[in-house]
Amino acid sequence: MSSTNQGAAVRAAGLAGRVNLQQYVVYFGFLAIFLFFAIMLKDSGFLTVRNLSNIVLQTAPATIMAIGLVFVMSAGEIDLSIGSTVAVAALAAAVTMQSYGMVPGIAAGLGCGLLIGLVNGVLVAYVRLPSFLVTLATLGLFAGVSRSLTDLRSIPVTNETFTGFFGSGALFGIPSLIWWTAIAVAIGHILYRETRFGAHVLAVGDNARAASVSGISVPKMRLAVLMISGALAGLAGLLYAGRLQAAKYTLGETDLMTVIAAVIVGGTLLNGGKGSIIGALVGSLMMGMLNNGLILMGLSVSDQMIVRGLIILAAVAVSLREKSR
Amino acid sequence: MQMTKWLTGAVAAGLIMSNGTAIARTVGPAGEAATPSAEVTLSDADIAALKDKGYKAALLWHTSSDFTNAVGQGATDEFKRAGIDIAVTTDAQFDAARQRSDIETALAAKPNVILALPLDPVTSAEAFRQAVTDGAKLVFLSNVPKGYKHGTDYAAIVTDDLFQMGKQAADALAKSIDGKGTVGYIFHDATYYVTNQRDQAFKSTIEKDYPDIKIVAEQGISDPARAEELANAMLLKNPDLDGIYVTWAEPADGVLAALRGAGNTKTKIVTLDLAEPVALDMVKGGNVTALVADKAYELGRAMAAAGMKSLLGQETPAFVVAPALTVTKDNVSQGWKDSLNRDAPQSVLDAAK
Amino acid sequence: MNATAEAMTGRPVLALKDIRKTFGGVVAIENFSLEVHPGEIVALVGDNGAGKSTLIKIISGVHPPTSGSIAIEGEPVAMSSATMARAHGIEVVYQDLALADQQTVYMNMFLGREPTKAFGLLDRRRMIDETEKLVKELDVRIPSAHATIRDLSGGQRQGVAIARATHWASKLILLDEPTAALGVAETAKVEEIVAALKTRNIGVLIISHSLDQVFKLSDRICVLRRGKQIGVRETKKTDKNEIIAMITGLQQS
Repeated sequence: MSSTNQGAAVRAAGLAGRVNLQQYVVYFGFLAIFLFFAIMLKDSGFLTVRNLSNIVLQTAPATIMAIGLVFVMSAGEIDLSIGSTVAVAALAAAVTMQSYGMVPGIAAGLGCGLLIGLVNGVLVAYVRLPSFLVTLATLGLFAGVSRSLTDLRSIPVTNETFTGFFGSGALFGIPSLIWWTAIAVAIGHILYRETRFGAHVLAVGDNARAASVSGISVPKMRLAVLMISGALAGLAGLLYAGRLQAAKYTLGETDLMTVIAAVIVGGTLLNGGKGSIIGALVGSLMMGMLNNGLILMGLSVSDQMIVRGLIILAAVAVSLREKSR
Repeated sequence: MQMTKWLTGAVAAGLIMSNGTAIARTVGPAGEAATPSAEVTLSDADIAALKDKGYKAALLWHTSSDFTNAVGQGATDEFKRAGIDIAVTTDAQFDAARQRSDIETALAAKPNVILALPLDPVTSAEAFRQAVTDGAKLVFLSNVPKGYKHGTDYAAIVTDDLFQMGKQAADALAKSIDGKGTVGYIFHDATYYVTNQRDQAFKSTIEKDYPDIKIVAEQGISDPARAEELANAMLLKNPDLDGIYVTWAEPADGVLAALRGAGNTKTKIVTLDLAEPVALDMVKGGNVTALVADKAYELGRAMAAAGMKSLLGQETPAFVVAPALTVTKDNVSQGWKDSLNRDAPQSVLDAAK
Repeated sequence: MNATAEAMTGRPVLALKDIRKTFGGVVAIENFSLEVHPGEIVALVGDNGAGKSTLIKIISGVHPPTSGSIAIEGEPVAMSSATMARAHGIEVVYQDLALADQQTVYMNMFLGREPTKAFGLLDRRRMIDETEKLVKELDVRIPSAHATIRDLSGGQRQGVAIARATHWASKLILLDEPTAALGVAETAKVEEIVAALKTRNIGVLIISHSLDQVFKLSDRICVLRRGKQIGVRETKKTDKNEIIAMITGLQQS
């Protein structure tokens, strides 16, 4: 082998090594945390089938929100409003269902998500306001709307077809929440990785000017990602309503930070241009597992928060460091 | 007419106050008579019977505060007597979805007793279903999931004496203004039966027991951060108020700020729950005249005791009430201990010397 | 192939006639006329503010001219966007290259024009194959079509941007300061690539501050000063002194 070839081989290996590490941080993290809890908590029920399936079921709505956020962040934007969209959608579905039945209820829930996405999208893409500020404002705005419309009451959901479909039901022995997660991840992944749409989202987040001179409509992409995010947050709201058989204005309030952390740990850049749907899924499962394991370790609530914060910090630091060389 | 309206409101809130001829009392959601918490105790034989059984307990809250800390401490200490460990503690942060996840997670640790502060009757009904199915003994704090039955679904509900808290606040304020004058009433403008009942009890006590005191200004509040501006508006319209009732301690800070800003040293404040800023003002002889608190530590102890009684297969009272406590400058040190089972903040103790 | 090339030599790929552009009364370009023929490299030179970038925007469809006509292969066209210019076979290599840094070389090659197969799925195989073929033809030395732009050197990036333009341009490539940010060796490499474009039977319009480069690469040189076209010279029949005089205005021709 000539020396030039060797040099090239070394360089290629170095490149490959770096690329691998950067993409797989979340998988290593997931595995490490899983093994840690599996060993530490082997007598505390962590490894039971029920507990592990609980983790997947509990994270389903957050995973679905995370998919939307991967699109938004890949386009270089952010959507904070998902925190309240979840509650608005769940409440809209619950209230509509009481009078008009299941299908209008579902339509109302998803419609609210899309509508909030549309409002965010128009303000960001066409009025040219920063998405951070727009969605921070709509986060508060729609939290207020869901509080005031329901007078802080909880709305029960009694339609059993609905609660089966979105919550406690199962198909071929697999819980409906897992189906929803699997479908959303599969469609999201293909749309993101294998279509022109996904490529254009990444291009807009990577270099909006380059995208624009390449004939990609940057405003349309910005509008689209925010509407996807809104719709998926709406779906997450339906899943919560189905799972809890009730809707309340506080739904999803604690999810926002978890979802953002899951997406970043999963390998999506805050500034856009790069991301992963599968990474977000694993990131979300990792967050759920972390919550679960820390509770089962018997830590006090404050200690749970501290340890959780430190682990997220470490994971985010590692994944961001790897990417920004 | 007014009484009917008031009663309807209280029913909607979840608990009913039976309005006897002599005194009103707090009663349970299905009209159960209240059992004083002091009556829920375990004998030495009970304790011995519980020991070395490997029982585990879980504490499932939906918020973290001085209050839940004190309740948790009371429960932990009581459980410890029988060698029962707290396997898990959770805080759902008012998130209904998280509450359900927390319960599911906690059940993986197979707790025998669960002490829980349910978020609200509707969203907690489905959330706690698995715990009932798993056969854990449930003791609820303040709220009960909709449709749950005493004995089969849960062991007991334990609550603070909401009516007494409101009433004692009224008595304390009346005492400080010599039973006559005008007062402002700042109530919690949200459907939350804990504050609603306390607020109503204050109002009805003033109206019924103190004919010479008039409530001349009423103001609802939902966001404690806006307390100062609301109080400013109230003082602008009624500069000569003798006293103000504030629904809980956090907004009372804002009211206090408004009074100080106006240079008002005359108007007395009474509020509920112990907190350092208002307590400091009180011991320094400021506007705050009294704080009414619940015995949170005792609540926790009673919850644990009820849960353990249930484990032993003993009868448990459906509805247990822990007493209220009026804290003034004179008993501030002891009051903190009785309520939260810890020393008052150093600043308060120093100022009280 | 050869016959076609010769047949088209007579007809310019781009013909600008009496182009005038004003921005709110301020004249940016006036009386500008220029023809670019297939297989020809024309250099556009002038001091800062001479109107070169305005001219690029007019040719690439970003700004329509206030008056005057643009013809592509003899057909008059009206272009109102960069997309329309691209549809007419005009590609621009911008000074900032307009590359998406975190995407692969092949995704950048097809940015906005990705081919798809069944169900609208991206045809990655085709993109990779065509990219590899082209970078080989143009001798752009990159590690692979899968390499990420940010991992490439400045010269390699410029090479990718030129390769992309070459892939899509059927008539004309506009190069805006292609070597401004490059070192000596990389500049030489990029100049090689540009010179090789002559064989592809498309017109090249290059903007450059380096007269050495202009004399090395171009067939003709067009000089702009303060929005006015000072003159067009055949490179072989002029020298640096004359061009400098035209750029600075110290000596009118």
